[in-house]
Amino acid sequence: MSALIPFHRVNVLTGIKSARLIEDASEYADLIQKAKRPLLVLGPRLLEWALDGKLLIEYALEIAKAANIPICATAHVKGKLTELGVKPDSVYDAVEIVNALKDPDWKGVKRAGNHDLVIFFGIRSDLGEQSLSVLKHFAPHLKTMTLCKFYYPHANYSLPNFRKDEQWKAFLENLIDNLKKGE
Amino acid sequence: MAEVKAITRKEEEVRQLIKAEIPWEPVGPTPMPEIPDLRSWDMRLLKTYKPWYAPFCDLCCLCTYGKCDLTENRRGACGLDIATQQARIILLACLMGCSAHAGHAGHILEFLIERHGPDKKIDMGTFIELEAPNIRTVTGLKPETLGDLKAVIEYVYKEITHLLDSTHMGQEGSYLDYESKALHASMLDHVGMEVADIAQIVGFNYPTSVAETPMIEMGWGAVDKSKPVILLVGHNPATSCTLIDYLRDNDLYDKVEVCGICCTALETTRYSDRAKIVGPLSRQLFFVRTGIADVILTDEQCIRTDIPIEASKAGSALIATLDKAMYGLEDATDWDTEEIVKQMVEDKKHFAILDPEKAAEVAAKVAIKIAPQKRKEWITEEEATELAKKCTNCDMCERVCPNLFSIGDGITEVAKGNFDLIKEQFNLCIGCGKCEEECPKQVPIFKIMQVAASKETWKIRAGRGPIMDTEIRNVGAPLTLGTIPGVIAFVGCSNYPDIEDVADMVDEFARRKYIIVLSGCAAMVAGMKKDADGKTVYEKYSPDFDAGGVVNVGSCVANSHISGAGIKIANIFASLPLRANYEVIADYILNRVGACGVAWGAMSQKAASIGTGCNRLGIPVILGPHSSKYRRLYLSRKEEDDWRVMDARKREIVDTGEPSPEHLAYVCETKEKAMVTIPKLCIRKNDTPQGRSIKLNHYISLYKKYMGGGLPEDLHLFVRRSADIPLVYKKEVMAHLKEIDWQPKEPVGLPTLIGTYPTKVPIDAVIH
Repeated sequence: MSALIPFHRVNVLTGIKSARLIEDASEYADLIQKAKRPLLVLGPRLLEWALDGKLLIEYALEIAKAANIPICATAHVKGKLTELGVKPDSVYDAVEIVNALKDPDWKGVKRAGNHDLVIFFGIRSDLGEQSLSVLKHFAPHLKTMTLCKFYYPHANYSLPNFRKDEQWKAFLENLIDNLKKGE
Repeated sequence: MAEVKAITRKEEEVRQLIKAEIPWEPVGPTPMPEIPDLRSWDMRLLKTYKPWYAPFCDLCCLCTYGKCDLTENRRGACGLDIATQQARIILLACLMGCSAHAGHAGHILEFLIERHGPDKKIDMGTFIELEAPNIRTVTGLKPETLGDLKAVIEYVYKEITHLLDSTHMGQEGSYLDYESKALHASMLDHVGMEVADIAQIVGFNYPTSVAETPMIEMGWGAVDKSKPVILLVGHNPATSCTLIDYLRDNDLYDKVEVCGICCTALETTRYSDRAKIVGPLSRQLFFVRTGIADVILTDEQCIRTDIPIEASKAGSALIATLDKAMYGLEDATDWDTEEIVKQMVEDKKHFAILDPEKAAEVAAKVAIKIAPQKRKEWITEEEATELAKKCTNCDMCERVCPNLFSIGDGITEVAKGNFDLIKEQFNLCIGCGKCEEECPKQVPIFKIMQVAASKETWKIRAGRGPIMDTEIRNVGAPLTLGTIPGVIAFVGCSNYPDIEDVADMVDEFARRKYIIVLSGCAAMVAGMKKDADGKTVYEKYSPDFDAGGVVNVGSCVANSHISGAGIKIANIFASLPLRANYEVIADYILNRVGACGVAWGAMSQKAASIGTGCNRLGIPVILGPHSSKYRRLYLSRKEEDDWRVMDARKREIVDTGEPSPEHLAYVCETKEKAMVTIPKLCIRKNDTPQGRSIKLNHYISLYKKYMGGGLPEDLHLFVRRSADIPLVYKKEVMAHLKEIDWQPKEPVGLPTLIGTYPTKVPIDAVIH
């Protein structure tokens, strides 16, 4: 099998273990729904990116609501969430939340035990990839997933490099629909 | 009867090297420390600030047993695991950084000893008696002459050898010990930097004991391209200062324009305020490709390694002046000057010339001869629009961009005659040129970006070298009590998410009366933004090391004056002896001096060692998002880590529960988050209630400004008693604390880590 090249080639790794690429939103939805204690980690790119005029942060909140996933707001995402009337379950920077997640005994943002699935969405890809690397190497007790439009090799589950934003939009909308169906 | 420890032969040698018989202070426990000597201090730091590893690669490929897969707890053929491999790479990076500065120091010292002799006295001016805080604290030597500095740099060289040795296969097997070694290498980096800058100040008569240094013209619009132009790139001023001398001596200084990129620019403007600064490292390739430089003089560090190729393309002549970077060029050091000039002008050849005087003479002569032949015009908007039409916006440029943006979008807009986006993107561009290299249509992106490149000029204050003892006397008490909320050092390279971030941060904190110090590329970019009145931060704020002052200390090697300022506070204000007393001084800075480094665009190995050196000295450092690629941070977990300290007055261990400083090496993803994290990392356990309330006032108000209102989630951890709460937020904070059932706690009178871990240092040593 030929190696899949991540979108931002600056992140190309010479690695052994790389993410399973998933393009089917229902498969993503199944993985999320099977998780006992998922966590959605939101990055600041969600405040900059829009699909057809709708900010990505709104998609993120719909996903969180549809699957009842607690949110961790990184960087200055909390400001926008406050503006949208949403109180995040936790506020940490990307490196801090990853630092906590790698401890299997951490209580998690709901104090109910560490998370078993961590979904990254909207962190700049270099920091995101490095953060996922920490968890890949030092947090075997959990799985990671990404929702950005780039392939993230260090994740367990990743989207492909979507060539067109329409593909990404369709995926996210399908994911939300699937999660709602599974409620 | 107590047993008297015999002095070994080795100890006797060290005592000779540091002139122990001169009783300026008693010799402390660690003169010229070796790898194990400060290890217990490191281990105590690493207990709270645990290494956070983000492997860039799953493999080790350093020996022929490999490549070895280190995933899923596998060990390599040598037994190494993934964490230890990361620490090993970090040590290598810190050693590269330390060696670059130590090599610079060694070279400049030889050059200046040749010029002035080894007995040239070290005189740092009227207001600086504590001339070498890093050297005194680490080695125990009080250097009095250039010759004394040689003994110091030889000690650094020796340690580098042992440290590098440990990275060979089959040596160190513990990531913590590798971290201790990285901390050791990085502490030595500050010693090497201090040697270099003291030598330069003494040997070149740079400004010292003065705050108000000249204002320097910056920006490529400041370069007079109607004259022959000589561009300096790198860090070592031996040739650049010699060039200034040559031009002055031969009545050419009005006729030839001298400008620089990166630290040689900062160095040269300390020697001559008529030299110009083009900009930071990220503008190197842009400027070289404009062809404005007739001659490029390179020395060492942070030079593009393809600079001879780029110089040829731009029609510029190039001279490599230092042996560290000779680019395969013919060594013409012993040639006849006129013959070199002839071949450079007529045959367009580049040469290595390792004699600064000859290199300077050749540079001036060649520049004067070739300047009239060169076209030095910017591309027009019409030309740019035409060139941009080849772009198909295929994404390849974005895919290789380290700053992750799509220059293709900007170029596409240029093709339509719209230049707004590309002007914004120029501020994001770090100047690596990967986009142009990857472009399948060979669109000359950098050339097109010339229309976006600002031709504006700015003012930057020339680097002033060390902080004066008199300034330390004035700010020592308010800083350690917390009434000046902190010292913030903006340092490092130019790998910025946005080049304007640093100016914004400097402005925010200078306005809030923090003391701001800057060096290197960060010092340049802080000056590359004007306010509504057309002023840069250097024109807007005082140059004093005082509340609300903005101080440019100089180039990379001047970073030693920033760590040195922390050491000076311990000595001048707190009267702690420095001599070979590193552990006590670092403990004092960690617990009492509200200082924080910000290496927002850190990219190089030197930045790794400068930052890690600050960490060993107890100074936390915030890094920009790219720096997660350094692979290692030092993070605590605030509510779960060990925040016990010894109260040295009561001689009892106190569990403060207060994470101050919370991290030692930390990455923020955005400027906004950095704005909130900086004031938090300036909090220290010994803040008085008044000082703490000032610090919390900034923490809360910046949080409200950048995080959408509310109170910081961890605020309760930093409120000891109600007196710590700023008046303006008292009601809101008290209501919040009541809601979470906060309980007051007593501040610690004299907090120290000494006494909380195994160390030879007695608690009495921290009491002053």
